[in-house]
Amino acid sequence: MLSYSIRRFAEMILTLFIIATATFFLLAAVPGDPLTERVEKLPPQIRQNLYEKYGLNKPLLERYVITMRGLAVGNFGESIVYPGQTVQSILQEKLPASARLGIQQMVLGIGIGMILGIIAAMKKNTWLDYGIITLAILFISIPHLIFGLLLQKIFAGELGWFPVIGWPKGKDLWTGGWQYTILPTLAGCFSYIAAYSRLLKTSMLDVVNQEYILTAESKGLSKMHIVLKHVLRNSLIPVITNLPMSIAMCITGSFFIERIFSIPGVGMYYVLSVNERDLPLIMGQTVILSIIYIVVIFITDILYTVVDPRISIQGGRR
Amino acid sequence: MKKLLEVRNLHVSYHTYAGEVQSVRGVSFDVHDGETLAIVGESGCGKSVTARSIMGLIKAPFGEIKTGSELRYCGEDMRAFDAKKWAHYRGGEASIIFQDALAALNPTMKIGKQITENITVHEHIKKKEANERAESLLHQVGIPDAKQKMNSYPHQLSGGMRQRVMIAIAFACNPKLLIADEPTTALDVTIQAQILDMIRSLQREKNTSVILITHDLGIVANIATRILIMYSGKVVEKGTSEEIFYHPVHPYTKALLRAIPKLTDPSKGPLYSISGHPPDLIDPPQGCPFAARCPHCMNVCVEAHPEDFDCGAGHTAACWLLHPLARHIGSEVE
Repeated sequence: MLSYSIRRFAEMILTLFIIATATFFLLAAVPGDPLTERVEKLPPQIRQNLYEKYGLNKPLLERYVITMRGLAVGNFGESIVYPGQTVQSILQEKLPASARLGIQQMVLGIGIGMILGIIAAMKKNTWLDYGIITLAILFISIPHLIFGLLLQKIFAGELGWFPVIGWPKGKDLWTGGWQYTILPTLAGCFSYIAAYSRLLKTSMLDVVNQEYILTAESKGLSKMHIVLKHVLRNSLIPVITNLPMSIAMCITGSFFIERIFSIPGVGMYYVLSVNERDLPLIMGQTVILSIIYIVVIFITDILYTVVDPRISIQGGRR
Repeated sequence: MKKLLEVRNLHVSYHTYAGEVQSVRGVSFDVHDGETLAIVGESGCGKSVTARSIMGLIKAPFGEIKTGSELRYCGEDMRAFDAKKWAHYRGGEASIIFQDALAALNPTMKIGKQITENITVHEHIKKKEANERAESLLHQVGIPDAKQKMNSYPHQLSGGMRQRVMIAIAFACNPKLLIADEPTTALDVTIQAQILDMIRSLQREKNTSVILITHDLGIVANIATRILIMYSGKVVEKGTSEEIFYHPVHPYTKALLRAIPKLTDPSKGPLYSISGHPPDLIDPPQGCPFAARCPHCMNVCVEAHPEDFDCGAGHTAACWLLHPLARHIGSEVE
């Protein structure tokens, strides 16, 4: 287990290095630079100073070395679009809101999705099953920006149950201000409900046809017992496989919801920084998100072995 | 002897996109207390479907036990069983062993748990007692270090060991009826003999009736009290073990017996096999289903299905050769 973890850690570092390098050179390959538009109308001397300030006048390889050296010690540099703010300070300020929103969406969405999936599988070919699957298709085809606006209009605007916009700050950052978080969480969790209910239903129906379910039935176990003790655990592998993809979806998908509900998260910055080619900010965010993603994949691999004893991680042996 | 199970005129169909597959077409037999009934036939003859019908494992909407089929357990109509009755019957009164233990055991559940859940659902005893019983069952079926093996997963055991676990599960609640659906087909020959011996000794100890389903007549010879030969969803011949082995009358039974490889066979030629294929059960022939492959096929065989002819001592066979008008031909057939 220890040697496996060490090997995986080395692989993570290598992966991050490749991601950072690729991102850097891809951004460099795009014609122009972040300052081109901003400095057009400025006198040449000021232009020169600005380029020197951000180090953009240096040769490409030197900039690469400087960037990578910064990344290695966790120094991402200063944002170009938001002068005076370092990338770290932006991420430190904005990441918690996004993280809480994402976690709430996923926990609620995957939880409800799995319950609906179990119900749909157990009540296969009944109106309940058709209802759940129709709902899932509806949820997956309607973009969550529409849900966001709809929820905002009905529950915040007309009924006035929740605040229209805003997000808990300060000491409420992680555990307080629930009234602010309910609508954005709901708006975002529909796509998870859709994805996971369908995924689990399909997987369970596959397991139900396995012979060991016949064995379980021939023991005289109740249907509930069979579903919970025999079917469910064997159906979880596809669900776990899908987790990292959901994390990625969550990170990029929160852009609209953060916009609609004025949530100070990274989603907005992520899209804007790419638009404006804020090189340090793009690099910083890419690396941070890659780390989150890679760690989730690692956790996923561990989860496989927990759910299915036939899968084992080989400590250092090949 | 008391009748434990009565099956009368059992018809089972599976509804597929290609049409209705009539897997079992009018099967009747009895199982008496403590006896071993062997159901023998080739793949697709409906023997496993018959077994599953007895366990109530034919599932709608694809599977259907046709109306008019009768299944009686201890005189009680099984077709009228409610969920509670089924729950008591399955695992408690009757249990089943499948062919492939690797597929039939839950891969993500410890084998100890797979045995004890059968015990705790039928008998309200403490978890610890159930564990002790499971352990002694494992010991009884010949698994060394039963205590440790309780915590093993199926993939950690060998094929023979897994089938032993299946047997332990099947005998966990001392069932009156055990259905062994090709219990040794997936195992090598030496393990086969051990497994069959074990089923037999457990059967004697607990006075269980066994329905042994197999395609191998060779293994039933010294186990079965009575034998049922099935072909394309119908019983073609049934009788005591001795009758079937020493006085077979149906051409299919004779062909099956010829197909058993013999060590003493002096000829170096290829092994005997029955040419042709069994009929398509979506559109079964109106005559005898074996007619197309039968060396003694007559005009009537294609026209009409033969009734069961009595050969005495409970030995019956469905073959036109046994008709009084065809007797003279029948005597030539050997």
